[in-house]
Amino acid sequence: MKKIAIYATILAICGGGLYSVVAAEKTAEPAAAAEAPKEPLVCFESRKGASEITQREIKPGWPNVKCSPTTGAALWYGDPFEGTVPMGKMPGLENLPEGHALVKPRSEKLNILPMCGTACHNGVGPQFNPPTLPKDKKPIPIPTMEGLVPDVKDLQHGRGRIWCLDCHHTTKRNMLVDHFGDPISFDQPQLLCGKCHGDKLRDWRDGIHGKRIGEFASNGKKRWFTCTECHNPHNVQDGVRNRGFIQLQPEPSPQLPKGMANADHEKVHPIPH
Amino acid sequence: MALNENPSADPAGAPASADPDKAVLKTTRRDFLKAGGMLSMSSLMGTAALMTQSGDAHAAVEWAEHFQKNYRLMTAEEKAEAKARLERRYSAEYGKQVTVDTTDAQPGVLMGYALNIRKCIGCRRCVHACVAENNQSRGKERAGEKIEWIQVLRMERGKFEAEKMNHGYPEGLGIQVGGNAYTPAGLVLEGQYHYNPEKVPEEDATYMPIACMQCEKPPCVKVCPVRTTYREPDGPVVIDYNWCIGCRMCMGACPYWARRLNVTNPVLPKEEMNPVTHYLGNRPRMRGVVEKCHWCLQRTRHGRYPACVEVCPVGARKFGNLLDPESEVSKILQRKNVFRLKAELNTFPKFFYFYD
Repeated sequence: MKKIAIYATILAICGGGLYSVVAAEKTAEPAAAAEAPKEPLVCFESRKGASEITQREIKPGWPNVKCSPTTGAALWYGDPFEGTVPMGKMPGLENLPEGHALVKPRSEKLNILPMCGTACHNGVGPQFNPPTLPKDKKPIPIPTMEGLVPDVKDLQHGRGRIWCLDCHHTTKRNMLVDHFGDPISFDQPQLLCGKCHGDKLRDWRDGIHGKRIGEFASNGKKRWFTCTECHNPHNVQDGVRNRGFIQLQPEPSPQLPKGMANADHEKVHPIPH
Repeated sequence: MALNENPSADPAGAPASADPDKAVLKTTRRDFLKAGGMLSMSSLMGTAALMTQSGDAHAAVEWAEHFQKNYRLMTAEEKAEAKARLERRYSAEYGKQVTVDTTDAQPGVLMGYALNIRKCIGCRRCVHACVAENNQSRGKERAGEKIEWIQVLRMERGKFEAEKMNHGYPEGLGIQVGGNAYTPAGLVLEGQYHYNPEKVPEEDATYMPIACMQCEKPPCVKVCPVRTTYREPDGPVVIDYNWCIGCRMCMGACPYWARRLNVTNPVLPKEEMNPVTHYLGNRPRMRGVVEKCHWCLQRTRHGRYPACVEVCPVGARKFGNLLDPESEVSKILQRKNVFRLKAELNTFPKFFYFYD
């Protein structure tokens, strides 16, 4: 009896399992058929590795973004304000109407940020009480840290004249720091960068430096791209690039005119010199 | 023999005979011409009625468009009719709800554009954003089927070199006129449009995007024989595509190579078509008309940035109202070093190049 019962249960489980699999397949099939041609398409906005946007339809035939099939870059915005939040207090922009200065929060993209404030760097703990703050400004290489943030191995910012805690808060490592030692959110890096790059901050505030999308009127509703959306602060002066912006793949070149096989003529000067 | 038995076919009966030979004998030349005129008139009207009432939106609109005025001479009602016609036609053609905007220039706005020539990395994202927004032809098979309004010109940088310190000029011809340590900028004088490296920006290159400069004194407007291209009150130079005859005078007159002719029937896939259009802007064009940049009228008339400004990854492109001293373009004109391309031609572009 016991054996039979066991067999029966096994059969029942198998049968049930099989049925559920079949049922799952049945329900999955139309969904897969509908989804297969439309995998969620994610494209990067300014530089690779910073802010990204996922393509979806806002209304029929009107996507929120069009992505380049060649490079995966955002090529066209149906909705320039998607995923944005108000910028927060910014000196010099007080005259803008409420909610007209928007930014995309950077903290969502920084995966290890929630950890930073709690695990190692909050300065409190059984053996860190009172907090053991760094004795000098010469960072000791920590393998875990270098594994998490490879950029710190070769800091290319300030030509050796600055170190980590000039920008990052000493005890609140999920924050940046201003001149008074007060924390700054990662979503407002302009308040930090403006400490040294004041001319660029002024140009950015007036819309001359950097990128803004949305309405073009001077008091219009705009999404402002913050410093770190275009520049990687840990290697802004890396070797092969120029102009402070990381190199990227260009979009395809224009069509050749009729009868032209290639564009080699462009590389030769008509008069040798 | 049924015809012969018909009383009306009797030659001795009514003057209007069904028999052509007999009828001609009894009608004067004037009557004949009259009848012929009436016949052709009625057939024309019949065709018109048939075409306008048929389900073929394309045919109906083509017919109506033949009697359409130049856009600048249209009354408000005629503009509304033209708008409704085009919306019907495009919606049928592209299988989605297409809107054709006819918003006029907004008062107090004079559009201006600025481009930071030092920031441009030559990634051509603006070129392709423009195509996505403005419904250009994008075929790949035949030459002339792919139309792009922005050209990005790659130019080489000049440099001074130590090893050329004592080079004479002209080289090897005897007369020493000074040193020539300089290797000129632009080994290729005309620049390169078809550059395609793996990564941009390249170390030894500068990039210069060129599109319509929206001149205040546009040479293209001066030469247009049908006056279909003109400057709008808020700045951009636009084209009423329906009145363009494709003579290409404007293409010859433009010193900035900004205008493109639809040599072939435009290739515009339904799914890629942008359904938000403006009559003078990005509505789909036909073969044989000229088109060019219009600063995305369908966007800018409603306050939005042009498509190329929004996608530039380095923020080199700036757009704003020249009459507003607080706009970013006005600030650039106040604060930065600005030049206009081919300023010596007195075209007075509203497109400014600047550098930090």
